[in-house]
Amino acid sequence: MNKELNRRDFLKNTTAVTAGVATIASGITLTTFAANDNPVTNEKRWGMLVDTNKLTESNINDMVNACQEENGWGSEIHSTGHQKPSWIKKIKVKDKVTGKIDMLPMMCQHCEHPPCVDVCPTNASMKREDGIVLVDKHLCIGCRYCMMACPYDARSFVHEDLSNQKEHMPRGKGTVESCTMCVHRVDKGEMPACAEAVSSNGVIFGDLYDANSKINQTLRKIQSTQIRADLNLNTGVRYSGI
Amino acid sequence: MKHLLVIFLTLSLNTVLAHDDEHANLGDRATELKDEGKSKDIHPSLDEIRKMHPEFLLHRRDQTLRQGVRTQRDSLKGCVDCHSSTKNDEYVPINAPDQFCSTCHQKVGISLDCFSCHRTTPKEGL
Ligand code: SF4
Repeated sequence: MNKELNRRDFLKNTTAVTAGVATIASGITLTTFAANDNPVTNEKRWGMLVDTNKLTESNINDMVNACQEENGWGSEIHSTGHQKPSWIKKIKVKDKVTGKIDMLPMMCQHCEHPPCVDVCPTNASMKREDGIVLVDKHLCIGCRYCMMACPYDARSFVHEDLSNQKEHMPRGKGTVESCTMCVHRVDKGEMPACAEAVSSNGVIFGDLYDANSKINQTLRKIQSTQIRADLNLNTGVRYSGI
Repeated sequence: MKHLLVIFLTLSLNTVLAHDDEHANLGDRATELKDEGKSKDIHPSLDEIRKMHPEFLLHRRDQTLRQGVRTQRDSLKGCVDCHSSTKNDEYVPINAPDQFCSTCHQKVGISLDCFSCHRTTPKEGL
């Protein structure tokens, strides 16, 4: 059989498009690609808005648990404290003057200019066109430069052999991993697990560019911030209330 | 002498053909589909999938991970779903020595590392 022909046929088979638009609330639309046959584009930029005023400590714990449950990390038995993977964690910030304590969930901030991508020697650390930052574990050599470069300490290294991974989330020893913004769910038109775990409006997920999206509309109205905004990374995860 | 040669050739041809047609361990779902005569719907040409599956998988992996193209066709998940077999009502990891992937890979001396990261059995919680 002719190799070229096969490839072309193969490519041809993957170009059909099925798009659907659903209205989820007045003025807010959610566009999904039913079959995901088309590459993602930079017309969208996925992001999250975390409102710390609306999140209780138990909400944040729920988010961490939901992430573990969804992506299958957290049951590593041979790794010691600092070696244990942690895709999302609960951070406590205390104002030394007033003693005010804020709790916030911290995960990969999905920067527009991700330092982890800059330093990666193999192009394993990468950003999708729609702004989701990922590790291509096929190419990751486990050098951990990205872990050093990340200002948010968002990445983990897998220190032990794993088995029984989630079908949608391959993970393995010797590679670096971090929050994927639940890309497997987002590509199906669903919400990330952590955002879904919070019933209040504490976490809003959506397309930052879409003027009709709830996240865009909320960000236009309220005061919000990026953590370490001084680094000019233009993060996809934004916070309000801190 | 001639007779011996014919016998020898027939025998060796038989073993070659036998190896070509039968896979030691096709997996539960794949065997079902084959018995129902539906395997051609999934792999129109056996030669093609045998020769080209590394290319298909590589191409698909980059498309899926980097471009978010997610279709059933040529996904590793799809391979595992059909080619896994069960023993005592439990799935045997597909990378175990006598399972679908390993039988050929061992024979031709290929050592691959798909399954230190990818799940070795179909679906969660079975
Ligand atoms: S978006 Fe998904 S991967 Fe990222 S922290 Fe939330 S649950 Fe975890």
